[in-house]
Formats: sequence, structure tokens, C-alpha cells
Amino acid sequence: MKLTTTKRLERLNERYANGDISRRSFLTLTAAAAAATGLSMPWMGRALAAVSEVRFDGWGGVVQEAIDKYAFQPYTAKSKVKVVQGTFGDENEIITKIKTSKPGDFQIVHSSGVNYYIKYVNGGFNSEINEANIPNMANVLTAMIEPFRKITPKLSAVPYDYGTTGIAYNNKVISPEEAKEKGANLLTDTKYAGKIGGYADMTTRVWYAALQTKQDPNNIQDMDAVWAKVRETRDLAKKFWSSGAELMDLLSRNEIVVTDAWSGRVAALQQQGQPIGYLDPAGSYAWMEDMLVLKGSPMAECEELINFMLDPATSIAVAEGQNYPPSLDPTKVKLTDKIAALPAFDPTGSMKSLTFADPLYWAKNEDAWTKQWDRVSKGA
Amino acid sequence: MRADHPNREGRWAWRLTGAITVCVYIFMFAPILATVVLSFNASMFGGFPLTGFSLRWYEKLLTNEPVLDAFRTSMWIALVTATVTTLLGIMAALALVRFEFRGKQAINTLVILPALVPETILGVGLLVMIKAVDQPRSMTLLVLGHILLTLPYVVLIVQARMVGIKRSYEEAALSLGAPRVSTFREITLPLLIPAVLASVLLAFTISFDNTSASLFWRPAGVETMPTQILSMLKISISPEVNALGTVMILLTVGIPLAGGLVLQSLTWFKAGK
Amino acid sequence: MTKGWKLYDQRLAWVLVAPVLLLLTLLLLLPIAMMTVYTFFTFVTAGVESAVLTFDNWKEFLTDSYYHGFLWKTVRVGAITAVICAILGYFPAYFIWATTFRHKWLLLLLLIVPFWISFTIRTFSWIHILGEQGLINVVLIRLGVINEPLPMLYTEGAVIMGLLHFLLPYMILNVYVSLESIDRTLIAAARSMGCTSAQAFREVTLPLSMPGLGAGLLLCFVLAAGSYVTPQLLGGSRDALFGNLIYDTIMGQLNWPMGATLSIVLFVLLGAAAAAYSRYMGLSQIMKGLSA
Repeated sequence: MKLTTTKRLERLNERYANGDISRRSFLTLTAAAAAATGLSMPWMGRALAAVSEVRFDGWGGVVQEAIDKYAFQPYTAKSKVKVVQGTFGDENEIITKIKTSKPGDFQIVHSSGVNYYIKYVNGGFNSEINEANIPNMANVLTAMIEPFRKITPKLSAVPYDYGTTGIAYNNKVISPEEAKEKGANLLTDTKYAGKIGGYADMTTRVWYAALQTKQDPNNIQDMDAVWAKVRETRDLAKKFWSSGAELMDLLSRNEIVVTDAWSGRVAALQQQGQPIGYLDPAGSYAWMEDMLVLKGSPMAECEELINFMLDPATSIAVAEGQNYPPSLDPTKVKLTDKIAALPAFDPTGSMKSLTFADPLYWAKNEDAWTKQWDRVSKGA
Repeated sequence: MRADHPNREGRWAWRLTGAITVCVYIFMFAPILATVVLSFNASMFGGFPLTGFSLRWYEKLLTNEPVLDAFRTSMWIALVTATVTTLLGIMAALALVRFEFRGKQAINTLVILPALVPETILGVGLLVMIKAVDQPRSMTLLVLGHILLTLPYVVLIVQARMVGIKRSYEEAALSLGAPRVSTFREITLPLLIPAVLASVLLAFTISFDNTSASLFWRPAGVETMPTQILSMLKISISPEVNALGTVMILLTVGIPLAGGLVLQSLTWFKAGK
Repeated sequence: MTKGWKLYDQRLAWVLVAPVLLLLTLLLLLPIAMMTVYTFFTFVTAGVESAVLTFDNWKEFLTDSYYHGFLWKTVRVGAITAVICAILGYFPAYFIWATTFRHKWLLLLLLIVPFWISFTIRTFSWIHILGEQGLINVVLIRLGVINEPLPMLYTEGAVIMGLLHFLLPYMILNVYVSLESIDRTLIAAARSMGCTSAQAFREVTLPLSMPGLGAGLLLCFVLAAGSYVTPQLLGGSRDALFGNLIYDTIMGQLNWPMGATLSIVLFVLLGAAAAAYSRYMGLSQIMKGLSA
């Protein structure tokens, strides 16, 4: 008797995992079966607990507002699963928190691409997802999935959006012609000393210094020249910002007139009527973001939420709200004109026009460079 | 203003002192006033000049769920901290003032240590330790941490008051056969009440206000009021943060002030008797 | 249960301090010991360390001038802040003590009020004064004194300003407490023996208030040198202090062994300052100041 009940529960779980039955009827059936025999299974506590909420941590500000409004709220209305949200300005911050909390405290992270994916994998924080439960992944660009698969053949994250870190400038002070001509070198233009900003992030700083020294950011030969440029920008900069909202704040309050900036945040400023121009210089830093699932998460719930987020209607609405193009393949899903007009958008879906960071090259140098950047940023 | 400054230098020195005092007071309060004023600014971005009067940031605040959550969390933590610390503090102060025992001096120093060790270090230390024993951060830990931080102040306050209470009162009661516990309840505690109230208030405000250490200790997803403000500040210096600051000022200044008044009238009442 | 115990039995004392002792051991002593052990752990990669013992972290700290620079800077900022606090704080303390103003309690109360206002709020409020659109710049531009806003925020000056704002009440209260304990007849005696008020101040009041001033200096130095939030909010990245270094090493580079090493260094440095002080003054003065 006992054996058969276990079997039945297992079969139920399997069917649920395959998406054969809805979550609710699965839970009802499980609960009924378990109550009947006083039996509990290790995964059941999780499944039952998960009914109430899923934890999500993202970048805050307009980006998270868009995700909340167009994805989480409708999802909660539909499934009664609440999405509890947290924010961070720097992804290392969230990794520290994960490191010192128990599995399950953090569940889904809006993570910034393969460079960070490696960190979670190295730390053993990630949790494998069952792609079969996310049918909408069929619409996601293969070019975006491949880099993740190179690191772990079985994915723990699903690409969600992408963007660039280009140059934003106040066009009352700097003309578009001047910006175009100087490109990345605006960040070391002594004319704007004390009015320059930048993202307080090693990758961005090294990337732009590489561009300024005419090197390939994915294969830097002369690191000394790069650090020299980083120092140059540092000495001219008013402040290195550490969150998208701070970037918007600094630009809109005229504290800075030129900075490297996230494409979507600049688009948001432009929509508010701020006099801010944006350009992607050649080799501009492109990145993608993914929904990463952590160890201890209620997998079924997380997969269901991610699937919901990838639904073309949801994904497009979020993309328009957060001003970053979605990971959907434009050759398979019809995207809107507004998305086509977003900076960084690649209509071919091949991602060939964008320069991403080579994850293995950057991972190899990450620790040493982060340390060096930390010093340079503090005046060394 | 002062009578015993008849000579000229004396008068000038006194005026200079007064002027500097006024400047220091302005220095202390001007930024706070600016925050309060700016919280009524209609503009989207915090900063002078004012563009108009508006209460919309307060409205927005009232519907800001994370802020209200953080407020409840902080209230709860501060209440528990204040109660437990005061209890522990009275016990420790009793031992440190009334008793002679070996190691007393060492314990005396140890007790004030948490007030002198930078919070960053306390924060890192606790983090390293719970990692080493493989414990997740929890609410209990955060509260315990706050108790640690407020303990020195409570012990010092209660100690200071206890020194002033003559032990002969207690000894008299004891020699008449009263049990220790009721001696404490009937004799010591009533005399200690002002210090107890002061301790509760101080422990409450210190806990409610703690930032640096809470930043390290809070469990996943928990924000206390100050860490919430800090993360809002990281995002932008919006008038909403100013409004929040103003509400906090009203609360944190209002509660102790009311408490102080009660205390004042209590002692008055006593003195009147 | 306590029958047969002496009136002030040692055992009862230990029962009374036991919970506090337990708390202090578990949350203060043990963590610091643990942290010391951690300084000998090996950093593998961001977020990962192994318990293989090594001296690398200490070697790095001792040989790298980057850390020495920050240590020196932290000491310098701490010392500057403490000294300015002492100078600016002495006047109000003296004024409150000496004034015949009827509502002296009000002046004292106003000094205590800042302690009740959230430290974070007090710190960020300086942004409204020093920023590009802050009070000073806006007023100066309106008056036509300057055309371009002065860069004041995100400088070391702003950090010191924020620290002063946070620490001045500690200093004033410390000095005030020690002034209060001066027997006023001493001053009257000095005056009656022909001292000018300046002489009386120099010969009697100032020396007798020294313990309070000393305690205030130590407290301000320790709190300033250990600060983290103020440089974070009001300083540029160059204006980081040792506390920020620790935070960034732990939270940014995820290098816990090095972060623990730096924490121990700061702990030893500030501990040494407090120990040197207590040798000369005794810690009791700080206690007085803290409970003021």
C-alpha cells in the first residue's frame, strides 16, 4: 500500500513536471494522496510552500517597475503566486548575500549575462532548470542561449534581454557631431573635466579603456595602457555611478554631462524629455541579461514564472517598458516598431553586430582585474 | 549675558563663544531642515530651488509597501532589542555595582567594547562566524546583534544610577527578612525607574537607527528602515526619500521627547510628594 | 535556592552577568577570534575560499603600499575630524556650562536631538547643502558670486563635514560632562585672587576639563576612523576610508580572507588607540561620556 502510494506520487510529480496537469490540480492530488497516508515526500514541502510566493531580485528603478507591471502583476493575478522582490545595484552585492544565506532565500536573479553566470556556477549556487517546462524558450534567440550552454550544457538561466553600454551625453553641452567624432574618447576629454561619469564596474571601465587605446576588449595586449586610461577617466570623473537610477539622477541633475551609460536607461531619460543623446561607438560593450534560478528554489514555480515572462506578449510589453530589446527571435516573433527603434536592437537576431564579452577570457582575468580596478578607483 | 565678565577681553571672549555656539547649532540643524523643506518640493528630482509645494511624496510613501515593511521590521526589532537589552543590562549593572568578584574589571571593559569597535568589524566578524558554523543569517541573529550594540549604553546608564542608590536601603530590607527578589522589586527597581526608562528609549533609538551593522547582518530580503533608506538613496535622491526622512525625524524625535516629558513629570511628581 | 549564600555572594554576581557574558562571547569575542583564523585562509576565486592555511593575506597587507596609504589616510581623516571636533565642540560646551540663560536644558536637549535622528538621514541631508543643486551653490549663483556651481560634494572635505556633523554632539557632551564636574568655587577662588577671566580659564577650567576633551577626542577618532556610510554617501571613490576598503573587499571582490585581514588590522589599530588612551586617562571617562 505504502509503496504504491509513493509510486503514485512520483508519477504525479513526473506528470506535473512534464506539464501534463496544472499546478493546482497536481497540488490538490498530492495533498489528498499525502493526507490519506500521512506520507510526505522531500519535494512536497517545497511544492506546497511555493504556492504562496517566488523571490525575485533585480536592478531596481524603471527596469524593475516595467518587469513588475507587465510580468509579475499579471502573473500573480493569473496564478495567485506572489512575486517578492528585492533590488541590487551591483551584482557582486547579491552574490555575497546568496553566499551567506540558506538555499531558497534567493530564487530568481535578473543576472547580467555569461560573465556573472560563471560566478554562480563556480560557487555552486545555481540550479538546473528543466527546459521542457519552459516551452516559450523555443522563441529565444539561439545566439543568446549558446554562450550559456558552453558553460553548462544543462542551463540554469534563460536569456531575457540585452543592451549596450554606450556613451550618453548632454546635447546642450556636447553636439551630436562632436560626440560622434570623439566617441569613447569623450570619457577622457579634459574639456569636460569634473563633468564626466562612468559605471563603477571593472568590466565597463576596462572595456572602454581598451577601446580608447584601440585594442580588442576581448584580447587585450597592453594592460598597462588600459589602466593608464582608466586612471585618466577616474581623474576627470566627477563620480562613478553604481546603479541605473543613480546614472539617470546624475545626468538629469546636470552633475555630469558625459558618461558611459546603459542604453535602456538613456532611452527612459529621453522619454522624460531630458536633453540626453546616446551613441554606441565601434566595439561598444554589449551584454545580455538572463533570469537565473538559484539552488533551493521551487523549480516548478520558477519555471512557470519564467515561461510566463517569455510569453511574446509579456516579453514585448516588458521590453517596451524597460527599454531593452527582448531575447525573442525577431525572425520568429513579430516585434513592435518601438522595440525596433530601441538602441542596441539587432533585427537579424544573429547578434553579430554586437560585441559581447568573451566569458572565458574575462573569467580568467576577473579576480586580478577586479582587485586592480578596486585600487585604481580609490586613487592608486 | 554673564555677570562675572567685567573686563573687555572677557566680554569679547564670551561673545565669541556665544557666536561660535550659535554657528555650531546652525551647522547641526541646517542640513536636517533642508531635508524637511525639500520633502515638500513638487519637483521630481531632489534639489534647490523649490518648484512648488506638494504633499505627493508623502502620499507615495504611504503606499510604498517595501518602506512600510521595513518600518514594521525596524519597530519590531527595536522593541525586542530595547526590552531584552534593558533586562540584561540591569542584571549586569547590578552585579558590576553591588558585587565584588574576580574579573569584574575585565567584564566592565568587555561590556563597553561593542560601543568602541567599529560596526564594520562587528559586522564582518559575525558574518564570518555564522558562515564557519554553517548557519544562515536570521532575524534572531540580527536582533542578537542589536542587543550587543545597545548593551554598553544600557549598562552604563543603569550603573550610573545604581551607584547613586544607597545599598543600605536594600540591606535594611534584606535584614528584615525580605526575599531578594521582592527587595529588588520593592526597593531597587522603583529607584531605578528613570534609568530604566532612559535605557529603553536609548536602546530603542540606537536599534531603530543602526545602519552599518544591519547591512551585514540582515537576513536575505529583510530591510530595516535605515538600510531601506540607504538603498533608496543609492537609487536616487528623490523627494520621496526626503519625505521618509521627515517622517522618521518626527517619529524618532517625537517618541523620546514624549518619553522625556513623562519622565520629567514623574520626577516632578516624586519631588512634589 | 539562594539560601546559605552570603549577601554579596560571588556566585550570585556570576549568575547576574552570565547572560551578558554569553552574549559578548558568542557575538563579539568568538567572531573576532574566528576572523583572525580566517585571515590565514586561502582565497581561491571570487566567493570561494579554502581552509588551507597561508600567510599570503598578511604578506600582501604588509608589503603592499596601497593598504598602507589607506591606513594612513584613515588615521589622518580620523585625526583631523577629531581635532576640528574638539575645537568647534569646546565653545558650545563651555557656553552651555557657563551661561546663565534660563533655558539651559533646551540647549542640552538640542544637542541630544541629533542622536535621535537617523544617522543615514543626517548624512544624506548634506547632499542638499553641498550638491550642485544644493543650498550653498544655488544661493551663491543667485547672488551672482559664482557662475559655475562649486564642486563640494564627493570630496574629502564633504566626508569630514559629514563626520563632524555626526560626531560633534559626542564631543560637546563629553566636554560638558567634565566641565560640570568642576567645582565652581575653584574658579571663584582664582578670580578673587586676582586672576583675569582668561587666566582663570587657562589655569583652572581648561586643565580640569582635559579628561572630557581627551575622551571626546578618542571617541571621535575611533568613530571617524571606523566609519563606512559617510564616505560612501558623501565621498567620491577616492575618499574611501579603511572601512570602505573592508566592505568592498568582502562585498565587491568577494575575497573574505583578505577582508578579514583588513578588519583585524583596523581593529588592532583602533584598539591600540583606545588602549594608549586608557593607560593615561582610564576608560571610566569614556563611560561617563557615553552615558551622558
